[in-house]
Amino acid sequence: MMELIGVSKSFDDKPAIVDLSLRVEDDEYLTLLGPSGSGKSTLLRVLAGFERPEAGRILLNGDDITVRPTHLRGLGIVQQNYALFPHMTVEENVGFGLVNRAQDPVTDPREVARRVAHSLELVGLDGLETRMVGQISGGQKQRVSLARTLITEPKVCLLDEPLGALDANLRERMTVELRKIRKALGVTFFHVTGNESEAIAMGDRMIVLDEGRAIQVAPPDTVFDHPATVRVARFLNAYNLLHGTTEGGVFANGEVQIPVPHGAADVSSVAVRYDAVEMHRDGAEAAGTALKAHFVTSEFMGSKVVYFFKMASGGIFEVERHLSSSDPETFGVGEAVTLSWDGRDVLFYDGRGDLISVAAAKGAA
Amino acid sequence: MVATNASDVRPATAVPAPQESFWARNRHYLLLAPGVVWMVLFLVVPLLMMVYVSFWTQTTFAISSDLTIKSWQTFFASETYFGALLRTLRIWLTVLCLTLLIGYPTALFIGQFVRNKTLQTILLVACVIPFWTSFLIRVLAWRPMLGKEGAVNILLQGMGIIDQPIEVLLFTELSVIIGMVQIYVVFMVGPIAFMLARIDHSLIEAARDLGASSWTIFRKIIFPLSLPGVVVGAIFVSVMVLGEFATASALSGRKVNLLGNIIVTQVGSLKWAFAAVVGVILTAVMAVVITVLLRVVNLRKEL
Repeated sequence: MMELIGVSKSFDDKPAIVDLSLRVEDDEYLTLLGPSGSGKSTLLRVLAGFERPEAGRILLNGDDITVRPTHLRGLGIVQQNYALFPHMTVEENVGFGLVNRAQDPVTDPREVARRVAHSLELVGLDGLETRMVGQISGGQKQRVSLARTLITEPKVCLLDEPLGALDANLRERMTVELRKIRKALGVTFFHVTGNESEAIAMGDRMIVLDEGRAIQVAPPDTVFDHPATVRVARFLNAYNLLHGTTEGGVFANGEVQIPVPHGAADVSSVAVRYDAVEMHRDGAEAAGTALKAHFVTSEFMGSKVVYFFKMASGGIFEVERHLSSSDPETFGVGEAVTLSWDGRDVLFYDGRGDLISVAAAKGAA
Repeated sequence: MVATNASDVRPATAVPAPQESFWARNRHYLLLAPGVVWMVLFLVVPLLMMVYVSFWTQTTFAISSDLTIKSWQTFFASETYFGALLRTLRIWLTVLCLTLLIGYPTALFIGQFVRNKTLQTILLVACVIPFWTSFLIRVLAWRPMLGKEGAVNILLQGMGIIDQPIEVLLFTELSVIIGMVQIYVVFMVGPIAFMLARIDHSLIEAARDLGASSWTIFRKIIFPLSLPGVVVGAIFVSVMVLGEFATASALSGRKVNLLGNIIVTQVGSLKWAFAAVVGVILTAVMAVVITVLLRVVNLRKEL
């Protein structure tokens, strides 16, 4: 188990990580989602020991490793660019840690060969032992890099945007394989990514990092269904956000009026999921909360269609339809459409951008 | 029907694609012509000429094209001349080792520990500043430094480290080596620093993360990846030191004769055949040295 207590790090007085506390459990797949510049790479580098934090402590199984040199930490990092040694074969790369580590290196060449073979088999690369690193593909490099780290049996394996440089096909396959490999080894994966669907699909738990702070730590479905702040809702790329003011128990912003739950007095933003919205052609009867907007364009994404509407305020409202549940609809450009949704699907955020828990609000009332 | 369509269209026998004329296919080789002509006239022909002349008959006042191996016999029989070959090799090896020993750490600092690219460039340029003065001045400046009453001796005596001036400092093999190392070390620093600066820092971080200590990282990652730089630097230094004569004559008081010095004196006294022998030997030594150095690392693959 790894624990971060109040870790802070800044560069030239610009804070990169601010007072971050976090628990990484044994045997879990933890994803960290953050936009670029949110401090996610810095956090990995602090954990790996490449950077020293200004404040806070990092504990690994109870030992303070805050200032312990990288090579004595027992953590493994798989870097975004794979960082394979170009002058060595695949086999030598994978075996590097075992042979060259300062703490109990493996000296028996047969033992090294056996474990390298096992490690390459685990990532599905057996047979490539004697290839030079320059002779293998990007996806294979990624696997070599993973095998090279996993062979050292790290206590926590840090993955820095491991799928970032792969093409879509390969990414999908690696998503499944990374989870499978992790399960087989029982080692904790700490996977850093800027891609929300990756973080949601892969993590047992996910952390949302923003401006150096962990703003939500929860299982992916909780994060997706109840984003803790307006900013999290925005990263997830699945919510329409409407900003306005609340008066007399009704949230209004000029084009829509939504009754707020009792006790939630200062709602200043609401979030409506793309796929919770119904579209009605002009004249049709709309149930629930409704909004008038004009059709702009639609985008066919294979298994789903995304429709874009322009609101009176000029903002864009997105609606998503999965083709498994309904046939695509066609609208003329500029056609007026009424958008409606069930009041229970709306999330309310207060003035500071924090989610107002409906249950808590009801309790207060 | 649809399936047979394709084969209907295709002719029964494949028609060969029209060929470009011989001229059109090979005209790009013309680009080489000026270079080839130049090198043949001024490199290949003189080289062959040198080998040929080395077998000519040399008498005190004249040279004739009657073939003989007398000049070659003289070279290998004479203590002076064969000794010069051995001395040249010894000084070359010493200077090569010293430039590597002094140059590598400097290059390591510039290439790996200076993260700022601008500062890296400034430091490398600083290494070249001594070259803004002429070669002769750089060499001769060592005389007042190393002489019996030179700066080094005065300083050491002043500090009470020695009582008598150290006389071996000037007009010995040592002074030649000191002078050569100072002049040529920069040719070692440059290529090595360049290779070191190209090493991706994430490789070093990866090695450290895999548990390797700094010394292991140097041995297994940094040094092997800088080898092409070492070889290029070694070739620079070798070629220049093996053909040296000016430093040796200026700093040894003509006591230390290298192959280069012998060529200069022999040509000076119009002993062309003998000078050609030494020239052929020097060329052969350089060829062997460069071949061996290139064997150390496959430059084509690394650069």
